[in-house]
Amino acid sequence: MHIPDGFLSPQITIPAYAISAPLWAWGVRRHFGHSSAESLPVVGSLTAVAFVIQTIMIPVPGGTSTHLVGVALLALLYHPLVAFVCESLVLLVQALFFGAGGITVLGINALAMGLLGPVAGWLVYRAFARFSEKGAAFLAAYVAVQISTAAIALVLGLQHRLSEKYFPIPFAVTFPATMVPSLTMTGVVEGLYTLFALSLLRKARVRGLDS
Amino acid sequence: MDWTAERRDRALLGGWLTGAFAISAITDPRVLAAVGLVLMVTFRRGLAAVLRRVLRSVVPVTVGLSLVSWAWLLLVSGRRPEVQPFLALGLRTCLIAFSTFAVLARVQLFPALAPWPTLTRLLVITLAQIHALRLLATESRLGLRSRLLHEPRALDVVRGAGGITGALFTLSTRNARDVSDAMRSRGF
Repeated sequence: MHIPDGFLSPQITIPAYAISAPLWAWGVRRHFGHSSAESLPVVGSLTAVAFVIQTIMIPVPGGTSTHLVGVALLALLYHPLVAFVCESLVLLVQALFFGAGGITVLGINALAMGLLGPVAGWLVYRAFARFSEKGAAFLAAYVAVQISTAAIALVLGLQHRLSEKYFPIPFAVTFPATMVPSLTMTGVVEGLYTLFALSLLRKARVRGLDS
Repeated sequence: MDWTAERRDRALLGGWLTGAFAISAITDPRVLAAVGLVLMVTFRRGLAAVLRRVLRSVVPVTVGLSLVSWAWLLLVSGRRPEVQPFLALGLRTCLIAFSTFAVLARVQLFPALAPWPTLTRLLVITLAQIHALRLLATESRLGLRSRLLHEPRALDVVRGAGGITGALFTLSTRNARDVSDAMRSRGF
């Protein structure tokens, strides 16, 4: 799902870093500052779980596959800012050690997958949890994936608009190519995963940052 | 690791980061090819291993994506799209990946990050957990496959993933606390 290095020019990647950097600082200070001795292991675990979840590939009709993101769960369990920091770490590890995504696009990928999606999911969950907690969890994860994917497609479309020579694939191709699998497959699967995982974690009474 | 080596590693990391952004601004395939040659000469030690890593992890995705998009544009517009932007796109991605793998093979990442102990601890914990969880996930996947008569479908995978998350998380948190306590006792 995430954008690889070389697909976006510094015109986009540098402003994305400028937006992400203070949010990283804020997230780390707010959630991992004073009690970091206790919270760091939990963050490390959450990050690793999200990383492993992202390696679980879901077959998509047409011979390709898509993957779960797993950060909506973090946003619902803790806070969207925790999800943002954890997803940024996942993206950093993927970029440095596994050649996925990249260092120049880290800011934009983190904003799209770690912040916009989880914030949208968290808001949906807060709005609908009073009617049905399970339904709200499913919907939150589904919406989170759609928002993240749409953000990625929009950024790629913006890059094409800025320079066709730089990114030759127009928005009319990028948007359906990213959104169709997301709407029909990834979102549903992410929703089901979040639903199952959330009820299991609640049953297991796994405590998080304030443990 | 001595002070000079740490400084050299930090300078190399800084240079790589600046270089990655600089490469991401180039659109001319000839310039990118020239930069590629310079990089290959500069990082000639261990060249084959780094190239193999790029070929395995980056090239299939980038080339596949470019080819499919190019063919789609050809189909939709009825005329051949320019090859140059697609070539530049692939080259940029490969060059940045090459420089990343080549630099990381030359620096001792954790000593270079010593001035930021929180980041070091977080990275160590995360990497340790990723290693442990990947082994567990592989075992779980094999377990899931062995319990089913057919190849696991999407719903089976999701049920399995949801089911193992609780166990993975609990185990992972316990392990992470051990690693973190061990690091704290060593001054991190």
